[in-house]
Amino acid sequence: MEKENLFLNCGSEQFQNFFCNPSWENSVEQNDPFESALSSMVSSPVAYATASGNNDGENIVIRELIGRLGSICNSGEISPSTNTSRYSTPLNSPPKVNLSMMDNQIRRNLQNSGNNFPSFAPFSTDPGFAERAARFSCYAKLGLNNDSELPHRLVPQLDSGNLSRVSSNQSFKFSGSPPMGVQENRNASLQEGISASYRRLGRFSRSSTPEKTEFGDSRENSSVSEQIPVGENGFKGQNNSNSRKRKSVPRGKAKEIPAKDVNVASENSESSAKRSKSYDESSIEKGNTIKADASESDKVTGDGNQKQPKENAKPPEPPKDYIHVRARRGQATDAHSLAERVRREKISERMKVLQELVPGCNKVTGKAVMLDEIINYVQSLQRQVEFLSMKLAIINPNMEFNVEALMSKDIFGSRGSFLHNLYTSDAYPSQSQPGQNLHNGIPNGTEMPFQNGRNQSIQMPTLDNASEPVSQASTFWEDDLHSLVQMGFGQNETQSFHAILPTASLTIFI
Amino acid sequence: MNTHNQLPSSHSSVESRFASGFLKALKKMNKNRPSSPSIRDTYRRYNFIRVSAYGLMASAVRPGRAWSHATLWKIRNRTFHRALMKRSRTHSLTRRVARGNPRNELGCEQVNDLRKLVPGGEEMKFCRLLNETAHYMKCLQAQVQIMRNIVDHYST
Repeated sequence: MEKENLFLNCGSEQFQNFFCNPSWENSVEQNDPFESALSSMVSSPVAYATASGNNDGENIVIRELIGRLGSICNSGEISPSTNTSRYSTPLNSPPKVNLSMMDNQIRRNLQNSGNNFPSFAPFSTDPGFAERAARFSCYAKLGLNNDSELPHRLVPQLDSGNLSRVSSNQSFKFSGSPPMGVQENRNASLQEGISASYRRLGRFSRSSTPEKTEFGDSRENSSVSEQIPVGENGFKGQNNSNSRKRKSVPRGKAKEIPAKDVNVASENSESSAKRSKSYDESSIEKGNTIKADASESDKVTGDGNQKQPKENAKPPEPPKDYIHVRARRGQATDAHSLAERVRREKISERMKVLQELVPGCNKVTGKAVMLDEIINYVQSLQRQVEFLSMKLAIINPNMEFNVEALMSKDIFGSRGSFLHNLYTSDAYPSQSQPGQNLHNGIPNGTEMPFQNGRNQSIQMPTLDNASEPVSQASTFWEDDLHSLVQMGFGQNETQSFHAILPTASLTIFI
Repeated sequence: MNTHNQLPSSHSSVESRFASGFLKALKKMNKNRPSSPSIRDTYRRYNFIRVSAYGLMASAVRPGRAWSHATLWKIRNRTFHRALMKRSRTHSLTRRVARGNPRNELGCEQVNDLRKLVPGGEEMKFCRLLNETAHYMKCLQAQVQIMRNIVDHYST
């Protein structure tokens, strides 16, 4: 119970760590993300298993494997078909070829860690497993267009001796699945994934106690039943309405089973359901459920239970009680990746804004090239300012500046939109107010640096009282400038200016 | 920060603030200065104008953007000129290499360059840097436009 809770959270964290950790993506062997994924998956549950005891460990491993395999397969299937995400993850690569390797890897790892798991005896009388096996065999018969060998391997194994138990268990689900199987196109890899996971699960759950099998049963049922329709959704790449319809069902199930629910079965099913759907086109709800608000569990439970029996024909349900960030299809929904996705979207949004600002960047795509353009443009603008100021400096002595005349002219050119985009708080705030403060300090502040600063750059009247509030900073500057100019180029200043100039100005020009 | 307080005066936009301030500064600079064609004076005026351009623009952007604060801070601390000099020297260094730069994957190189370009961009997160860059770009565009108009007005 508590162990389950703990482990569920740990499992979800592992999930997050796994799928969000870029190192996994980089350390893929044979360019196969699934291998590394699976090896990580298998190895990590083992640690937990040893910690929490064999039986628990088995269940934990089972759940983990099922969920992860299923989710991997789902993601692998879903994303190529309906990849609406902007940023594809390595896990989106089609897993068809890899699943056989995956299977081997799993077997290898499991055998290596087989010490923790008492027996790999032939398939036990686990009713849940039997049902799964039967379901799988139905799928296998129903026209797998497989090129891989897995189904062939599995089917005979599963068929042996387990079909008899199928009828005893929850036949409605069993009957429910074949029709779905008939209708949908089975993708080989997903089948393999499910079958592989179930096979492993079966091996592990054999030795579990009846109690465990019981909730394993419900867990597996719910997970399977959820996975299959969900997987089918993924396969067909159904339009959003259908997918949402199905989605709502699993979501409902997820809702019904918050992480901290007392009901062990529901917890397990929730975890497996969550995992199975984690790569489905689902919302952040799973992420929320993982972190679970206990308060929401009560609300949710009632809804979920009602939905459980009806899986096939669901009316689309709006998600409730959760803060939603809609995840795109085939994308992870754990906290890290979600935060990353939000961040990425923010950045891309801002890049778009910048793209509009920089002239002639409409065809540019990609962050790097765009950044290049932006940098070039900012540099060119800065150079233009310098050039124009130089020009003004040359022209200046000869001109009379008629401020009003200039302002009356359309000096602003064609930048209409600019006017409203920037801050327009009080422009020249009561200059008297800060000015009064300044006038006391300015005569002291401006003269001294001028006299002392032979080696320094141009001496703007700097106020040493750095404690000025920021809001007044700009006003001070204006006042400084005005005061600087107003004070006139008295003898002191001019002399100091001349002194300053040689050191400062010779290197100005490019 | 985004409150648009419309003043009764006509100077209610950043551009107008900048333009008027700039013109006033120019006017006053000329008023008291004997027009000597010496290079020194020209240089001096150039510096003054440049610094005042940036400073006025920064101050015209009222409740501070980060870059405006940084610019004003630099001016206050008398490092503005040094920064400008450094920039003119390093323009060639930051010139963009060919687009096919293999390091462009994350764009860290460009991001660093961008940080150097935008005042105050050294210690910002990337997201905020983009914001500041956009704002800074807008202000620079306005500044260039105004100055060009002034120059054109007086060169004709």
